[in-house]
Amino acid sequence: MYRINNYNDTINLKLENMKLLRSLSILIMILTIGLGAVSCKKVSDADIQNEAQAALNANPDLSGVMVTVLNKVATITGTVEDEATKSYAESTVAGVENVVSVVNEIVVVPPPPDYSALDNAINAGLADALKDHPKVTATVQDGVITINGEIRERDLQTLMEKLNALNPVQIVNNATVK
Amino acid sequence: MTLSEKYKELVDIAINNKLSVNDTGKVLRIEGEVDTADIKDKMWEIYKNLDPHFKSNDVVLNVKSKVSAGDKVKVVTRESRLNIRQGPGTDQPIVGKAEKGDIITLINKTNDQWWLVRDNDGEEGYCYSQYLEPVN
Repeated sequence: MYRINNYNDTINLKLENMKLLRSLSILIMILTIGLGAVSCKKVSDADIQNEAQAALNANPDLSGVMVTVLNKVATITGTVEDEATKSYAESTVAGVENVVSVVNEIVVVPPPPDYSALDNAINAGLADALKDHPKVTATVQDGVITINGEIRERDLQTLMEKLNALNPVQIVNNATVK
Repeated sequence: MTLSEKYKELVDIAINNKLSVNDTGKVLRIEGEVDTADIKDKMWEIYKNLDPHFKSNDVVLNVKSKVSAGDKVKVVTRESRLNIRQGPGTDQPIVGKAEKGDIITLINKTNDQWWLVRDNDGEEGYCYSQYLEPVN
């Protein structure tokens, strides 16, 4: 039979309770630390990096951008076509959870201009422009007219006026002036 | 020396005539329309003085003199007569010829290269615009 009016029994019971409480709090502490360790593992740099790279990969304009993460600081490298895309890549990565800051080392490389329309327009006018100068030949590339062959000095300005009127990017005169 | 400095005389006259001037570092571009053929001729004269054989390859001078439909234009071939053609192109048949120095009438500017004109015999056809100059 269990009687708590026994003084010794009461002391023993109290001691038992304290031990239990201590073990419990130690257990809670261990659990807390353990859980903390688990949650720290969840936001490793590698995980942040994967998430940031996925965010970049989702946008085809940012396909040339790579991200590395160290101590939650993201560094982005690679090339894009303009400043706006460079800024957009930065804000994309900055918006990824657990990224504390972004170092933007992206290089802007504008795409080469498309001269095909201008080349076609120049080529269309070139035959008429050269008609009176049969010893001159011309080629067109990237808006640049290059002339070869030979031309009399007194006809040169006339030819140059005709070629300049075709609005080229440049005229390269390799013709022999006689 | 920059291109703008090298061709300062040309740049000055261009600015005075409100032409577009763009020095890319590699090529100096001067574009636009001037009031008279004399200004255009003067600019080509300056350009030729600075680069007599046009061998520097560092200028694009695309200057046109102002002209509208109905204006008189002068034939400015070097020595030959100017072909008047049925259509806008050197592959088109020749329907008439205008003498050097003739003053004829511009009907319209078909494009930058070819203008529709009427000669003094009333004949209409297309001439290469570089051989026509507005009379002011």
